[in-house]
Amino acid sequence: MMKRFLFFTIKILLLTFMVLVVLDIAYTQVYLQSSHRGKIDYVYNSKARHYDVVILGSSRANNHFVAPLFEEKGLKTFNYGMSGGHLFEASLLLKLMVERHYTIKNVILEADLNLANEKESESVASKFLPYIHRSKVIESHFAQQPHFWDNYYIPFYRYIVFDPQIGFREMYDAAREKPTKLLDHLGYYPLGKNPNANMKNDLTNLKPLHNEYYEEIKQICKANNINLIAVMTPMCSNVKGLDYFLKVNAIYPEIHNYENAIEGDQYFSSCGHMNDTGARKFTTVIINEFFNK
Amino acid sequence: MFFNSLSFALFLPIVFVLYWFVFNKTKSTQNALLIVASYYFYSCWDWRFLFLLVFSTFLDYYTGIRIEKAKTETARKFWFWLSISVNLGFLGIFKYYNFFAASFSELLNGFGLQTSPLLLNVVLPVGISFYTFHGLSYVIDIYLKRIKAEYNFVDYSLFVSYFPLLVAGPIERATHLLPQVKVKRTFDFEKAKEGVYQIIWGLFKKVVIADTCATYANAIFDHYQSMNSLSLILGAFYFAFQIYGDFSGYSDMALGMSKLFGLDLLRNFNYPYFSRDIAEFWRRWHISLSSWFRDYVYIPLGGSRGSKLKQVRNVFVIFLLSGFWHGANWTFIAWGFINALYFLPLLLRDTNRSNIETVALGWDFSSLKVFFSILSTFVLTCLAWVFFRAKSIGDAFDYISRIFTDQNFKIQYLENERYSYEILLLIFIFILVEWNARTKIEPISGSYSWLKVTLCIAAIVALGTYSDYKEFIYFQF
Repeated sequence: MMKRFLFFTIKILLLTFMVLVVLDIAYTQVYLQSSHRGKIDYVYNSKARHYDVVILGSSRANNHFVAPLFEEKGLKTFNYGMSGGHLFEASLLLKLMVERHYTIKNVILEADLNLANEKESESVASKFLPYIHRSKVIESHFAQQPHFWDNYYIPFYRYIVFDPQIGFREMYDAAREKPTKLLDHLGYYPLGKNPNANMKNDLTNLKPLHNEYYEEIKQICKANNINLIAVMTPMCSNVKGLDYFLKVNAIYPEIHNYENAIEGDQYFSSCGHMNDTGARKFTTVIINEFFNK
Repeated sequence: MFFNSLSFALFLPIVFVLYWFVFNKTKSTQNALLIVASYYFYSCWDWRFLFLLVFSTFLDYYTGIRIEKAKTETARKFWFWLSISVNLGFLGIFKYYNFFAASFSELLNGFGLQTSPLLLNVVLPVGISFYTFHGLSYVIDIYLKRIKAEYNFVDYSLFVSYFPLLVAGPIERATHLLPQVKVKRTFDFEKAKEGVYQIIWGLFKKVVIADTCATYANAIFDHYQSMNSLSLILGAFYFAFQIYGDFSGYSDMALGMSKLFGLDLLRNFNYPYFSRDIAEFWRRWHISLSSWFRDYVYIPLGGSRGSKLKQVRNVFVIFLLSGFWHGANWTFIAWGFINALYFLPLLLRDTNRSNIETVALGWDFSSLKVFFSILSTFVLTCLAWVFFRAKSIGDAFDYISRIFTDQNFKIQYLENERYSYEILLLIFIFILVEWNARTKIEPISGSYSWLKVTLCIAAIVALGTYSDYKEFIYFQF
């Protein structure tokens, strides 16, 4: 009796394992065909591209650098800033571009509040995970992360844990090539005016780190003859602990401080994010500063 | 430690192996192992409340013996009422004290007497309503001389604390479970296999149906003031399936894992949404609680005997108590009251037992009538669930009135960045599966069982909701 049950249980477990393997293969195949849902698959499933300017960073890059304004100046540009992303993901995205033989003249890196964090941003980093077995760059970038073993060796585990990012709904949308707005405006995402926005911020508890991934980005740029322009982008007027930006400069004097470049809350959608008008003013400042000389 | 957690996925096989391979010599060793496992399981929630569980167990064990041994009627009554009052006292303090204190204070404030209630800062011990009702039924049965007192403390403890039913039922009866724990269990392959199927189906109902519906129901109920008629209808519909998948899924898993240990628990759900009237619904929904109230409250009050007025009173008493059992909130009482109102026409027309046989549909006019009976019962149930889910009675009335006054039936994009209609297909498939399986315990066994298991496992891993973890609803009761 028990022997039969043992065989029955083993069969169920094997069946479960097979289901996990089959689903893993199926989901991964879908993501390998998808190149227009977000910036990560857009890079992963691409071949060599040429850029004069690549923009990297978090939402403060995504919402602040108006890529079409660079294009108007004849600079081939794409804004790869990712909302919610940290430097962990910015570094990995740049590594992927290099792996795909992109030629890049300039990288504008938003390096300010994100310098205080060396952790991965799960919601963004998880979007690299479908490719973890296919790319040595991604594999080695995640190798030191806490759940690397589970994500790498347990089939389908990553799709279960990061269900909102790469689970069934996203896979289904990717399979039917449902468009998103993430790649519109050359990756720049304009924000509108938000009358209910919280126009306050407190940075007093934030401490910039000697950031591993910022260092990594510097090294990649140096090794590939890419001109790195690291910048701190504007904040609204009511911010406590503004000496954070001075602390950043104390560690990294090469990072250009544009915290005060745009003044007036009418240019902001929230305290850390400019609206489209503010972003256009700011981008003009950056273009004039670095590309009109 | 939830049934759908990784820690439980390790705990259950360990207990299973120890039970059948190490502690399998006698029923005493089997029971001792299950007790230790149950206490460990319970202490994973909050070890401090383990003392309450042990005390409650000892109280009912001891008073049960004293009732049986009492030489006078006065002594019998004394031990009986001691047990009842201590049990209900604990329940009252932990679950209802703050509610009564706050309500009383509000009442006084209503009369112009400004008071602030003295509230207790206590956490509700998980499963207290369930194990208290186990103990109560045992003591009442001894008092009414339906059963003999149990003299083996380990056996009795297992009846109260058995981990599959400890925190969310089913509410067992001594007459049903105690005889089973008093004999050594032998392994039965067919029963264990059935148990595994039931666990898989229960897990499917929890993580695929309930938790997915919860994502949508929460987005709608939490922002109901900005929802249109269609979304509000869908919100009630999703909550109906959330609570059904959640609770019946838990019960299925409890029943399934008990079969692995050679024990049969009381069936708690019997496809309630295929009921043709509210009376039938209550014979199919949370059966162990309905039958508890029937046997220990309704029948002692006179049940369906006596005048119509008395019958009506009895019906309202058990429905209000049933609502109040769920939680210390007026919304639950209102939910019970509404169900009593639904029941009333059936009682007055003596048709409350007219739908006993299994529901069947064909291609004839009578089937159309049956179909509309099922549909109307479900709609009534959904309306009542709005009271169960809403934060206050005012919110519930507002929610329902908006359904009828908004008159906007466009698809809405919800706060959780999903369209309100997205999971309708999933629920429709689930209804079809349940309809085809309505004469069985679960839909997996029978022909093509391996295919059905495969589909279930695939659905659990691919469609289940894991990131936004949701507790079983009935753990709060």
